[in-house]
Amino acid sequence: MDADARFGAEEVRIRCLTDSAGILRRGDRQRVEAGMEEITRRFPQIFVAIYTGSLGEVANMRQFGFWLLNRSAFEDVPLQKPNEAGILITIDPESKAAGMVFGYLLDPFLEESDTFECLSRAHAYWLEGRYADGILRTLKHLDGILRKRSRQARRDPEHFERKVVLPAQMGDLVRRIRSGHRPGVEEKPTEVVR
Amino acid sequence: MKFLPSISAGVVLTASAAFALDEPPLPAWRDKERAELESKGWIPGAILLTADPIPDEPAKPAVAALEVEQPKPEEIAEDHKLSSEIAEKYLPAYFAERPKNFLVDPQGLLSPSDYRDRLSFLNYHASDSSIDLFVYVIGGDQEIPSEVREEELIERFFSEGRPAAIVYYYLGAPQRSVVYLSPSITDAVSAAEQRRALESSVMQAFEKNKPAEQIEKFLVQMSIRIYWMERMLAGESAASDTLPLTGPVTASSSRAAAKSAKFLWLQALAVRSAIPAAVLLGAFLTAFGFSHWLRMRARYRFPEFDVEPRLGGAHAAGVGAVISFASAALPPASQRDQVPDYLRRA
Repeated sequence: MDADARFGAEEVRIRCLTDSAGILRRGDRQRVEAGMEEITRRFPQIFVAIYTGSLGEVANMRQFGFWLLNRSAFEDVPLQKPNEAGILITIDPESKAAGMVFGYLLDPFLEESDTFECLSRAHAYWLEGRYADGILRTLKHLDGILRKRSRQARRDPEHFERKVVLPAQMGDLVRRIRSGHRPGVEEKPTEVVR
Repeated sequence: MKFLPSISAGVVLTASAAFALDEPPLPAWRDKERAELESKGWIPGAILLTADPIPDEPAKPAVAALEVEQPKPEEIAEDHKLSSEIAEKYLPAYFAERPKNFLVDPQGLLSPSDYRDRLSFLNYHASDSSIDLFVYVIGGDQEIPSEVREEELIERFFSEGRPAAIVYYYLGAPQRSVVYLSPSITDAVSAAEQRRALESSVMQAFEKNKPAEQIEKFLVQMSIRIYWMERMLAGESAASDTLPLTGPVTASSSRAAAKSAKFLWLQALAVRSAIPAAVLLGAFLTAFGFSHWLRMRARYRFPEFDVEPRLGGAHAAGVGAVISFASAALPPASQRDQVPDYLRRA
């Protein structure tokens, strides 16, 4: 990964709530931790991590979030919950930017626009430096989206499965073409297998 | 020290008062003093200082005990001596037909202005109430002829049409008043309630001395009581037990009661649908609370799909949003669609 070259290829051990920038006061920490636990309680498969810190002017917020979620080992997350089930919110109070990335488990269910909507809810709070309030607002909106997507996935799981399987099928098709597949023979449609 | 003079004065006054309570001894003649004065002539006040009878004063006859005739039994029972029956010439105007006006006064016992005011009030009452109020004004010392049977008249004249309360009001003697209800509502309003209505109206009337003011108070109270009768008709239990019979009654309260009577049908509807509505509301609130409780306890799970790793990320592929909050001039709406295409999922 290019991000490894920039941020390092070593595993990073952090806690789910890491306030390196020191923007959360004691009471704020408790409130934010309660909000994070609520997400974990309601969605037992996933967890939320929050990192605040200065990334410097040259750092790319999206790239850093991507790198951190892939390289970090969260000390206070059970081992049975891999980082694929994580949602990481990164806040840089110096450059005044925030990002949200999520693991592969949520890949079929969350879109970039969803994370943008979540962060948008916090915009007004973060403008005023009310970081904890903004984070809680973000988590609340995230909670609503996840509940909605969970219900949709229960009703129609194939809809979400297609999002992640179709690209693989396309790759197979390309490989078959490259390996001398003859167009005269009709291919039976491949069923999606979970 | 400054209180010493006042204390001394107080002691002296107290002693003087105690001394004053003792009667001074009566003067008494000293030896031969009276004889000397009498020998000199007239003694001033001598006539008062002797027990001898005053000369030249006429002898007073002994006062005889007053002989007052004891009241007769009929005088004790009857406050008023009934003078006469209603003159025969007025009987047709009273009892020949159902009255055209709510106030029947063929004898002209009320002054024209009082008649107009009372009739206006009764008209107003009728416009706001479902029970009309007819009032026959009879002289306080008059009697309805025995050949007139009131119940039969009520049955004949008031069996049809709007429900009505009919009052025979004796001007100046409100305690003699009688109230009848038209047959359509007689069963719905108990006799006790009718009696209470009459009693409270009479008591209100007795707050005034003038007959014209008495009838005014009487009618106002009766109008209020009719309002309660309307509520009984609407199926509501009689609240008259909780209603004080003698309370401060004003014309405004009567008007308020009359206005409430306008919405009698609405009240009846509300009474009928109160229990079902309460049950529905309770069920709705219970369902809402239970649903909320379930939602709070709900756990959501996602199906797990095999996702092909991308961009060399073992756990995540970095598809997420970034937002800047550096300036209020850069709102979230202007920051959409900022993800580079190469980071998007194919």
